[in-house]
Amino acid sequence: MLALCIAASALLAACGFDSSGSDSGPDEPEMEGITLYSGRIAAAVGGAVDAHEAEVDRDVRVRFGDTADLAATLVEEGDASPADAFFAGEPGAMPAVAEAGLLTKLPDDILELVPPRYRDPEGRWIGVTGRVRTLAYSSDLDRSELPRSPLELTDPEWEGRVGWGPPTASLHEYVTALRLRYGDDVARDWLEGMVANGAVDYPNNVAIRDAIANGEIDAGLINHYYVAQAVAAEGDDYPVELYYPPEGLGSLVLSTDVGVLEASDRKQEAFDFVRSLLSPSSQEFFTVSSKEYPLARDAEPDPSLDVPLEQIPAPGGALFDVAELQATIEMMQEAGAL
Amino acid sequence: MAPATGDAARLPGRLATRRGSRVEALLGDRRPPAALLAAGVVVGLAALLPAAYLLVLVVGDAAAALDAALSSRTAGVLARTLALTAAVTAGAIAIALPLGWLTVRTDLPARRLWATLCTLPLVIPSYVGAYLLIAALGPSGMLQDALGVERLPSIYGFAGAWLALTLFTYPLVLIPVRATLRRIDPQLEDAARAMGRRPAATFASVVVPQLWPALAAGGLLVALYVLSDFGAVSIMRFDSFTREIYTTYRSSFDRTGAAGLGAVLVVLMLALLWVSSRIRGARAVHRLGPGTIKPATPYALGRWRWPAIGLCGAVVTISLVLPVGVLVYWANKGISSGSVSVATVAALGGNSLIVAAAAAAIGAVCALVVAILAGRFPSPVSRALERFSHAGYALPGIVVALALVFFATRAVPVLYQTLAMLVFALTVHYLPLATGPIGASLAQVSPRVEEAARVLGRTPLEVFRTITVPLVRGGVLAGSALIFLHAVKELPATLLLAPIGFETLATDIWNQTQFGFYEASAIPALVLLAIAAPPLYLLSERGTVSA
Amino acid sequence: MSADAIALRLRGLEKRFGTVRAVAGLDLDIAAGSICALLGPSGCGKTTALRLIAGLERPDAGRIAIGDTVVCDATTFVAPERRRIGMVFQDYALFPHLDVAANVGYGLGRRPDRDRVAEALALVGLEHEGGRPVHQLSGGQQQRVALARALAPTPEIVLLDEPFSNLDAGLRERIRGEVVEILRSAGVTALFVTHDQAEALSIAERVAVVRAGTIEQVGTPEEIYSRPASRWVAGFLGEIEVVPGTSDGRRIVCELGSLAAESGVDGDVDVMVRPESVAIGLTGPQNAAEGEVTGRQFYGHDQLVELRLASGRTIRSRRLGFPAWHPGDRVRVWFDGPADVIPRQAGVEHAAERRREPVG
Repeated sequence: MLALCIAASALLAACGFDSSGSDSGPDEPEMEGITLYSGRIAAAVGGAVDAHEAEVDRDVRVRFGDTADLAATLVEEGDASPADAFFAGEPGAMPAVAEAGLLTKLPDDILELVPPRYRDPEGRWIGVTGRVRTLAYSSDLDRSELPRSPLELTDPEWEGRVGWGPPTASLHEYVTALRLRYGDDVARDWLEGMVANGAVDYPNNVAIRDAIANGEIDAGLINHYYVAQAVAAEGDDYPVELYYPPEGLGSLVLSTDVGVLEASDRKQEAFDFVRSLLSPSSQEFFTVSSKEYPLARDAEPDPSLDVPLEQIPAPGGALFDVAELQATIEMMQEAGAL
Repeated sequence: MAPATGDAARLPGRLATRRGSRVEALLGDRRPPAALLAAGVVVGLAALLPAAYLLVLVVGDAAAALDAALSSRTAGVLARTLALTAAVTAGAIAIALPLGWLTVRTDLPARRLWATLCTLPLVIPSYVGAYLLIAALGPSGMLQDALGVERLPSIYGFAGAWLALTLFTYPLVLIPVRATLRRIDPQLEDAARAMGRRPAATFASVVVPQLWPALAAGGLLVALYVLSDFGAVSIMRFDSFTREIYTTYRSSFDRTGAAGLGAVLVVLMLALLWVSSRIRGARAVHRLGPGTIKPATPYALGRWRWPAIGLCGAVVTISLVLPVGVLVYWANKGISSGSVSVATVAALGGNSLIVAAAAAAIGAVCALVVAILAGRFPSPVSRALERFSHAGYALPGIVVALALVFFATRAVPVLYQTLAMLVFALTVHYLPLATGPIGASLAQVSPRVEEAARVLGRTPLEVFRTITVPLVRGGVLAGSALIFLHAVKELPATLLLAPIGFETLATDIWNQTQFGFYEASAIPALVLLAIAAPPLYLLSERGTVSA
Repeated sequence: MSADAIALRLRGLEKRFGTVRAVAGLDLDIAAGSICALLGPSGCGKTTALRLIAGLERPDAGRIAIGDTVVCDATTFVAPERRRIGMVFQDYALFPHLDVAANVGYGLGRRPDRDRVAEALALVGLEHEGGRPVHQLSGGQQQRVALARALAPTPEIVLLDEPFSNLDAGLRERIRGEVVEILRSAGVTALFVTHDQAEALSIAERVAVVRAGTIEQVGTPEEIYSRPASRWVAGFLGEIEVVPGTSDGRRIVCELGSLAAESGVDGDVDVMVRPESVAIGLTGPQNAAEGEVTGRQFYGHDQLVELRLASGRTIRSRRLGFPAWHPGDRVRVWFDGPADVIPRQAGVEHAAERRREPVG
């Protein structure tokens, strides 16, 4: 019996058995298209991918996974990578992949599709959607109580009432931006202050949002779209709201990015895919489904988002440096935040 | 060596030089058949791939790696992690010992049912388990609502991590303990009781010493699991060693630093292995006494019956009923909101089943090879192979996955991202789970029995087929069941190495919980439990040699 | 095979484990149909020799022939399964997952002949136990199953490794007898290994005394007991008393009396005599020694009397339980049974020896 099991599995394995049980769209196109590594889950990108498949009549093969894991995989795979494009769901990963020399320069017409502050200065990757680091707060609070700057969250009145996500990449980016704008000392003081003030740790942004909704905490540093999605799903009386502190880097735009692999032998098709992600219809998909900001020029954000993107600071330049990110991690660890 | 003179003739196959004696020293007094040795070497090397990958990275930039590995921060995290490991191991043993004894040696009613129920928590993935514990016992959790209390004491941190890990790993100790209890000769205990020792004293002085090998083997698996776990500790917000590794390579994108830390884990694992093998003591565990043992008469619990049932019930409630209850609750919400598709879940279940079953079958065979080499042909080489086979388990799944990405893309690109590679990864990762039960049941088979079969006229292969295999079948089944249970819920390696489009229940759960769609994740989690239950029944029933 | 054919022939067997020489040059012939014993202390290599014969170990040197077939020498090695040998292990090594009949029939091939199985079971007196699982049997029954299993394929020779050491002392004698009966009625050649002198002497037709991997002496039980080839053999087989004496080629004279000398023995000698051959009485023959009882241990059917001779030498005598002797009794002491003689070793004390030397 054991022998049968082994034989069966060997046979199965050798055939490279491939089931596409997860594609829930309409009839899959016959011809093979590009291979995409996506750090964003199917619900978040499915619509855009399906639209592209329909447009070019090819099957896009998507490997879903954790952004950082996928980035590490790309680095290990090197030239042998089967991926043609990489869609990062969190900041920080794409610059790392770019610095490893794995990305190819995108054609100018693609680069022109978004404002320069939402793409790699060297043109190796481009932002697709934007999420805003900002403050979410419980509806029980009055807006006048909210701080004018996140730096004030270290004040005694906020002790134990604020949540943040030290393991999340978006917080790391935020702290890096803080360091670059105000210097290491301010950033370190803020970190140590938050820790001393009993800021509650959460493993991800969803947990922060839910904690505010449950009344565990009163406010949290979060990505805007989690709240927007919940409001869209549960209704306007959802007990969490968004607030963009006007001062002291109160909010920050972070992007989800896409790049094309140097190792790819379907570069043209991959470029087409990137173009389609930035097309009005796909941008609208992102806007409606996940409540993120579309980054393509002239694209309209969802009406529920009342703060225009242009008013929110966006990083650039050194923020994309992996070395800066590593320095931030070290500082967070030393401050006891991580 | 005797010179080739006079009547003392030399036999072929013995090298009459110094070199020969060195080969002998490596391979032991008995030479294993070449094919078996080759198979064992393949298994050992395969299991070493993740460690080799770390070595490559460390060697690539030794300074940076050492920097990360030897920093003071690392020392602190290491100390914390070791404390958690020790606490969880102790906790798991503390739960498993009484449960094992109650379900094997007493007249506890519905023993078999309790045994299966007590083993089931193994099925629950640590990250799901932690989620569920928080959902149930955490702030704004169900228990808090049920009790109407303002705020329960915080479950996060060391306490929560300890609870989440102990509750779902104690079956790793329970299984070998039960298997051993069934095979211990009860005559020793009868003798002790006849001499007037009370049952507790008998248990402590006669039974527990015989249980050391089982405790060492199970404890080792628990310790390695804690070392490599990430899901539970991150949800419980405990700063463990794996979290350091994850932060280093995921947030800092520092492969070399992460590899340095991973190397520390490997060193830790070697230390644990050494401790475990010392506790297990001398090699000869098989009974030297004549004949086969009679099963023991059950101990009458009398008025202790209800407290015993209470103990079993309490453990099962917290580690099984509670999590399953939460899952069912979420599943209900999911079904009523119409967000779950039966066909999809069935397909996912099928995928999980195929991969896990393949890994279990192959893993059991590999573990058997290693066990036979270590048990029947002891030598420095075979002992080394047995140690190597543990290498893949102490490292987090993501390291195993990346190691195979690294080697596959360089050595066998055609196999990259195929099911074969995924099964290979899972086998390498979970192999040690099987070496314990299989090694133990092989050790219970006296080599004399196999020799008797040889002398009676059967070839080695026939002896293996008619004598050894039936006698180790229980251990093989237990080992494959363990691998199956872990492979079926594995996540990071599956995400990276499975063929594109190949989703399992675990990847689906992960997908759903990313955005907090707990309800949608509950149905796949329940299906996971259902799939895992039969092997678990096998484990709790047949995790022994059928006498 | 004719009655005086040789069933087993060992020549120059050598086996090393690491640096230990377990078997160091073993030569032995065993006649067909006879029951032989390899007797020796623990660790002397007798079990290793048995395993070499069975083919479970490979010798470093030497030759083994079973019947007319050479099964092991410089150029051949016949695997154990082809050697037509039966073996009974010390712990019986029954197959726990098979019942009694399946155990017994295992050596008869995939589809064992039922009649033959029944015959073998009948031979050992377990005709009705065929369907029982082996763990339900008593120790003695399990041993008989092991024997039946070994005998069923009609082997050329049966090897038994300490077959009785695991039995309760009370049963041992009876079962020994039964097993010997079974072996005789099967007409098979048997070689068994034991450390128990009484066992070897009572069962075997020929005994080979093994020490440190070689055979010190081969002979009938009487021969090796009363005429041990060396002091060590003498000491191993039982208690000995050593008395110095002198020989002139015709007679040997010592304190306890005189005996006819074997040819060639001349000069100073040591006379080795068993305590049961030391007689005591109120009167004795002419050249008996004078002595005084200094101690006595009573064993029921015999007693061990400690004596001091007039010369000051201490000696022990084993006699029947009655008449009882008491410390202080003055008696005459002489020998009335077989004694053996070895040339005296220079510089060695003539104290009564019962030292068994361990084998390194």
